[in-house]
Amino acid sequence: MYGWNGKRLRVDLTTGKITVESIDAKFRKMWLGGRGFNSALLYQEVGPEIDPFDAENRLIFGVGPLTGTFSPSSGRTTITSKSPLQYPCGFGDANMGGHWGPELKYAGYDQLVIQGKAEKPVYLWIDDDRVEIRDAGHIWGKTLSETDAIIKEELKDPDIHIAAIGPAGENLVRFACVINDVSRAAGRTGMGAVMGSKKLKAVAVRGTRPVNLARPKEFFEECAKVREKMKADIMVQMLYDQGTWLLTMPANYEQGWFCWRNFQAGFHPEADKLRGERHRDHYLAHREGCFACSISCGRFSKIPGGKYAGEKTGGPEYETLTAVGPRLGILDIEAVIHNSLLVNEYGMDSCSLGGAIGWAMDCWEKGLLTSADTGGLSLEWGDQETVDKLIKMIVYREGLGNILAEGSYRSALHFNRGFEYTMTVKGNDMSQDDPRGLGFAFGIGFGTGRRGGDHLQGLPCLELTGQFYPGLVEKILGTAEAESRLSPVKKPEMQKYQEEVKAVGDCLTMCTFSHSWSFAVLPEDMARILSACTGVDYTVEDLLKIGGRIATLERAFWNRLLVGRLEDTVPERFTGEPMPVGPNKGTVFPFEELRPLYYKVRGWDEATGFPLDEVLAEYGLDELVEELAPYRRAYLEKMG
Amino acid sequence: MALKTLVVNAGKCTGCRTCEMACSLVHENKCSPQLSRVRVIKWEAQGISVPATCANCTTPYCMLVCPAGAVSVQAETGALIMDESKCIGCRACSTVCPLGQAIYHPEKRVAIKCDLCGGDPACAKFCPSGALEYTTVDQSLMARRRQFYKKVIEGGEH
Repeated sequence: MYGWNGKRLRVDLTTGKITVESIDAKFRKMWLGGRGFNSALLYQEVGPEIDPFDAENRLIFGVGPLTGTFSPSSGRTTITSKSPLQYPCGFGDANMGGHWGPELKYAGYDQLVIQGKAEKPVYLWIDDDRVEIRDAGHIWGKTLSETDAIIKEELKDPDIHIAAIGPAGENLVRFACVINDVSRAAGRTGMGAVMGSKKLKAVAVRGTRPVNLARPKEFFEECAKVREKMKADIMVQMLYDQGTWLLTMPANYEQGWFCWRNFQAGFHPEADKLRGERHRDHYLAHREGCFACSISCGRFSKIPGGKYAGEKTGGPEYETLTAVGPRLGILDIEAVIHNSLLVNEYGMDSCSLGGAIGWAMDCWEKGLLTSADTGGLSLEWGDQETVDKLIKMIVYREGLGNILAEGSYRSALHFNRGFEYTMTVKGNDMSQDDPRGLGFAFGIGFGTGRRGGDHLQGLPCLELTGQFYPGLVEKILGTAEAESRLSPVKKPEMQKYQEEVKAVGDCLTMCTFSHSWSFAVLPEDMARILSACTGVDYTVEDLLKIGGRIATLERAFWNRLLVGRLEDTVPERFTGEPMPVGPNKGTVFPFEELRPLYYKVRGWDEATGFPLDEVLAEYGLDELVEELAPYRRAYLEKMG
Repeated sequence: MALKTLVVNAGKCTGCRTCEMACSLVHENKCSPQLSRVRVIKWEAQGISVPATCANCTTPYCMLVCPAGAVSVQAETGALIMDESKCIGCRACSTVCPLGQAIYHPEKRVAIKCDLCGGDPACAKFCPSGALEYTTVDQSLMARRRQFYKKVIEGGEH
């Protein structure tokens, strides 16, 4: 077999049973790899009755046909599970760079499925076809860097790759994440909490097998051509130079979507304290590349002096630096790096951590939380000492931290107030991206996407950076008007196109920045590289159809939980409060105008938000027509 | 013209391992770190990575020690070429190499090593950060000196 391994490793932690299954040609054709493989398996095996922390929930790691090859920026991993963070709990997935995924591929697998629950803490050691469940009693409680060091020492191999959880995952903090190579996080939707519920501390992998290629010379040439394009690409060059820190200046001063104080504003006059040049020139120790990446946007930061002198950590990237900084009213760059070191070491999603603390601070300001609720803590915006303390209280579930560890939405439920300040969609906290400035296609993704409030439903950068690629937006959408961020023109179509491209990228495990921030990699490039790799010939149309199929199936996962149109909302702040300051002053996000148009292009029913039967059939998901019917009826009843 | 060689600028390495993939694909038609002549050594917790590759030494221990006469010098590039058909798989070359090179093909069970791709090494060509460069030693040192004195002239940190 070329490209894929065609194998799924399944580990049942309750019984200790380890099996290898084959992933057949039909499944590969339908679902391609990575995210597609995972979503399909989650849909099959985790029905609506299963709770995220049940033994029956699955934690699925997936890689794709291009993972571990010369294909540029294609070494990522998707982790999929029913998420404990959302409300109601629903579809969860998160994606990580680093070097863990390629190692799993070299060990001979495309997918790793964890089910059941261990009685006491364990870790998994995958050494090609020798797979072992090992005691992790001595690592339980350790941070990410400690865990990495201890396991490498124990297995006597510093070159293995380890995906692990920190204390946050162990303590079932609902937004705990999984991290590999010490600091590359699969951040969103609480995958680390599911791993913690299974008492699985880490998965260590060593792989020694090659990835075979159907047409190696052609594969080399296609990859080389794309690498040349990337080298010459302005976005790639900027990402290499400043990392995602490059966003601070345009986000704040030109586009007005800088996340200030839990989205109270999209602009702050002193945002330049967090500008990319400043980080690069004073705090950047090294640039970091995920596997086979020709961008290397990753950062490794070191604080040279001051209160946090000597601290160093992978990252932070833009979402983290804003989540643990300006979202909480903090603009001190050293505090931001320090906080991001904490979220890495404890293993938490920075976005939802910022969401939880940001919510509490917003409520404090409004008088909805008082010191009677906080155990005497005062929650003033920008108070770094309190933030530092609260992060640890959340990880170890102490006092107010025990409530915030449930996430912002469940915290509002606990106090039964402050719902309007939970910046969540379906219970998942918004990433630090305000659609009142970032763009309307992004906004559609926030309201309707598979994770809840998150920019990675499609990362529709055609409306953000598309203008740097003359003719591209017009070629794809028929009009250059769609290049404008805050124009509604063709935004539903743009979001559909970009979420399909992104789903394909996530199957190949190709970084979104290579094809949907930079547009150096186009779907036709993916098709050519993939065809030469696997020997199965793919067209752009084939790929986009797979992308659409995945988006549709993930939607059906939600629909089975009786989540549809009513739950497709965005925080009121975006639709009801005009942007108060900055370059977009006065803008609101017209979600309710765009949502029906998006449903139409996606082929979702306007009343329920369920995929139409003919669309399911078109994607080859015929069996879902019958399966979803009772849920549609139940949803119509729920709607009254 | 002075011979070019593979120069390692360790501080620039991002640890992406593109070099490993390029090398293994070009030489073995497969993608596998184990089949790559260059390997990246990583210290993830320190954020440090270094590409480790063959220096094609002036006094090549691998060639001197080889009992099968499998190693020869390619005049045009200065590369030490391993003739896999002559190699007996004794790994004497790996044993004596001070850099831990002359690696071992796990399936063919013979030594394999960097051949500078005949004068256009794929590892350097596709290195996104300039950590691996194919240049003359003099030019690479001049570039470093220029970088150092530029900082001195501009009065910045160094």
